[in-house]
Amino acid sequence: MSGQDLGGPAGYGQPGASTGSTYVPSPAPSPFPPPAPQPSVKPRTSLAVALEQSRYRLMVTAAVVTTVFTAISVKLAMATLLAGGGDPRQHVALEIGETTNNRADIIDRNGNLLATSLVTQSLYADPKLVSRPEEAAQKLVSALPDLDYKDVLAKLSGDRRFVWLKRNLTPKQQAAVHRLGIPGVAFEQEERRFYPAGPLTAHIVGFTGIDNNGLAGMEQGFNKRLIEEPGTPLQLSIDLRLQHVLKKELTATVQEFSAIGAAGIVFDVRNGEVLSMVSLPDFDPQDPTGLNPETLFNRATLGVYEMGSTFKIFNSALAFESGKIRVSDMFDAAHPVKVGRFTINDYHSLHRALTVAEVFQHSSNLGSVRMIQLIGVAAQKAFMTKMGFTRPTGLELPENGWPLVPNPWREINSYTISFGHGISVSPMHTVAAAASVINGGFFHKPTLLKRKPGEEIPTEQVVSRQTSDMMRRMFRFVVTEGTGRTAAVKGYLVGGKTGTADKQKGKHYEKNSRMSSFLGAFPMNDPRYIVYVLVDEPKGIARTGGFATGGTVGAPTVGRIIKQIGPLLNVPTLDENAPEILNTTYLNAAGSTNWQQSLPPVTAPPPSKGSTVASFPTQTKPR
Amino acid sequence: MKGKTWLFWGGLIAAAGGVLFQTSYDVQDLEEKLAGLNRKIIQEQESIQVLKAEWSYLNDPTKLEQMAQAYLALQPTEPRQYMATDMIPMRPADAVPPAVQTPPGLAPLPPMVRAPGTGNSQLAAARAPAVPNAANNSGTTGIVPVGLPAGAALVKPLPMDKALERAPVVVPASLPASGALADPSRANRIKPAALVPGSARAPAEKSTDRAAPAAGKLAPTAPTSRPTELASRPTPAPAPKVAAAPAAQQQPYQPKPTDSLGMLVARLGANR
Repeated sequence: MSGQDLGGPAGYGQPGASTGSTYVPSPAPSPFPPPAPQPSVKPRTSLAVALEQSRYRLMVTAAVVTTVFTAISVKLAMATLLAGGGDPRQHVALEIGETTNNRADIIDRNGNLLATSLVTQSLYADPKLVSRPEEAAQKLVSALPDLDYKDVLAKLSGDRRFVWLKRNLTPKQQAAVHRLGIPGVAFEQEERRFYPAGPLTAHIVGFTGIDNNGLAGMEQGFNKRLIEEPGTPLQLSIDLRLQHVLKKELTATVQEFSAIGAAGIVFDVRNGEVLSMVSLPDFDPQDPTGLNPETLFNRATLGVYEMGSTFKIFNSALAFESGKIRVSDMFDAAHPVKVGRFTINDYHSLHRALTVAEVFQHSSNLGSVRMIQLIGVAAQKAFMTKMGFTRPTGLELPENGWPLVPNPWREINSYTISFGHGISVSPMHTVAAAASVINGGFFHKPTLLKRKPGEEIPTEQVVSRQTSDMMRRMFRFVVTEGTGRTAAVKGYLVGGKTGTADKQKGKHYEKNSRMSSFLGAFPMNDPRYIVYVLVDEPKGIARTGGFATGGTVGAPTVGRIIKQIGPLLNVPTLDENAPEILNTTYLNAAGSTNWQQSLPPVTAPPPSKGSTVASFPTQTKPR
Repeated sequence: MKGKTWLFWGGLIAAAGGVLFQTSYDVQDLEEKLAGLNRKIIQEQESIQVLKAEWSYLNDPTKLEQMAQAYLALQPTEPRQYMATDMIPMRPADAVPPAVQTPPGLAPLPPMVRAPGTGNSQLAAARAPAVPNAANNSGTTGIVPVGLPAGAALVKPLPMDKALERAPVVVPASLPASGALADPSRANRIKPAALVPGSARAPAEKSTDRAAPAAGKLAPTAPTSRPTELASRPTPAPAPKVAAAPAAQQQPYQPKPTDSLGMLVARLGANR
């Protein structure tokens, strides 16, 4: 290219074009003077200089042009050949399972939707592009009547480049705004979290903020998982139907006894799944901030309470486990226990010695204290630690309460803990521990995620099979003849333990504010589910004779719940008086498990009496 | 010779160019189509998501219970209505009399959960070939399966496609209007009547497939004259004032038929 340019001008430059050129005639000793005659030296020289100059200029220009063009072609080659281009050339069809959502759904154990994301349009404006803010604001307010004119005007006449005008429009509203055709106002596609079940699962699922970040419940606990795998829904162990039954019955109880709150749990004792969990009062996850912040508090997992007599479950299990106490052993329950300035007494004393079975049956504080006196503080502390009462439950919710455990653990603490005061744990703690006591001794960490079939369940043996077997009988005994009679449901072999704890206000226990609870399990010959109910500050009513104890508040509620959820959970009904059932569930006040001795000697109980299906006289069994 | 070579190559180049152009336009067309399809898929997915959400919302157990109390005679099941399979006695092999009386050795069937009246109509349907006018009786029992015109349809079950045509197709009114759903010919299929009387519509889906097994098993032993325990219960008829009270409570739940997505979004708290 440059050679052509140089050769272009004329034949003039050629002779003197380059000093080292072979074109120069050899006879000339020096390049300039000899070939040129003297008079033409001057013009010749100036011409040579001019040529030289233009040659350099041309070369510089050529170099620049070459560099630029080379750079362009190199870039071009890189862009076209080497880097596969900006847009993918090949368009691909969408995968079948592909989702357009940015956040995974949450579903219950049967696949019902608990939380999902819906695409909505949000309205924003770029005030720089809005030419007449007053007119625009007027139009917008006419299309969206719930906007405030002054507010919109202020936003539109500000000097920011981006303002939200309204989030999550309905399609109709969007069309209305679209029709206005205001420049500088546009839509942005957004996702909004929607909770079809509403308040029913509010405390479990939680809620998200306006930017779809989880702020409570599973939405917060699994925030990362929900964002990273938007295609696969998160399946919880919750059953929406049970949730409804539990909430309905708890609400009824709270209203009946004018309580300030309640908590309920349905728990699968075989694998540690939480099938249902309710905390009242609850909130609407669509509008969690609009209401009383108190409603956000999860009583079932975050609240820690002195559980009262339900702790006698663990006291009795510890007694059997220690090997020092058998169920027929007698303990003095007539005389109050004095420790320092405290006096421990019974709620309603029987003024006599009681067997362990009777201590459990009548929920005697004194008997429990006598039992723990025999066992010792260290054993109790070790046992309570094993039961998980010294650390959070490990449930997947961020709302997980730390138990309040006495430190140091002195003798007086061991006395009060034996009947459930002086240690505060969450209802979930109690339920998980009680499950391990009756399911054969296996402690399962409670979980809100559905276990896959065949999945290995992490477990730990905390009490022996014999202890567990005896505890089942004790549970059943409380419902057949003890404080929890109102929880009985024909056919489901309910067992359980009542609990009534005085609430601590400041440094004192209040006489008239208490926590009434009932921990029920069924069917007791081979427990499958625990139903736990805790009612906060129930007031006595006329029907219960002014009482608001665990037996009058919690037990009937649990009975009603079991009656409804038993069929849903596919629990077969059983004949309560069948010999093989009595073999596994019978216990009497003397601590005997031999049911045949206690029967009337002459006749067996009428066969059809306990039958669950009254019209089946053929089903009598020889006794 | 040289000219021919040039002609040959030139022709070849022109042909290749033409084919290339054609292919390129074809590909562009296909890509546009694909992009359009992808857009449609996304739109459909979003609509499905909305429908799923709405379905779950409408299936909220709390609301279902309220509606069941207001419009149905069904009650919560109780433990006594369940029994183990091995508790059911075997039927004696020879005792298959056409008469409708219980064999002496057999226990009566346990009370079954059934809306009052449907029991009779189903039995009548089952025995329709033998007793042709039984379907008329069923008309008096209160609940008639809609969409099944009297006895004839029961005797000769409809072919599947016909049955599907008859089934009311409920199209949500305000989906993001994408071609297929906004089709006016389909919009005609929305029958508000199919939505309203829940108690009348309930047996319609089941009666056809139930009739066949019932003819074999239920008919000989099931007592028709003796009222079952449940059937004899007083029916909580949806009296106007009873229905009015829950209707007032349910006010927030009533979906406006025109704007279901709007309802949902409004419930999302967009206005708050």
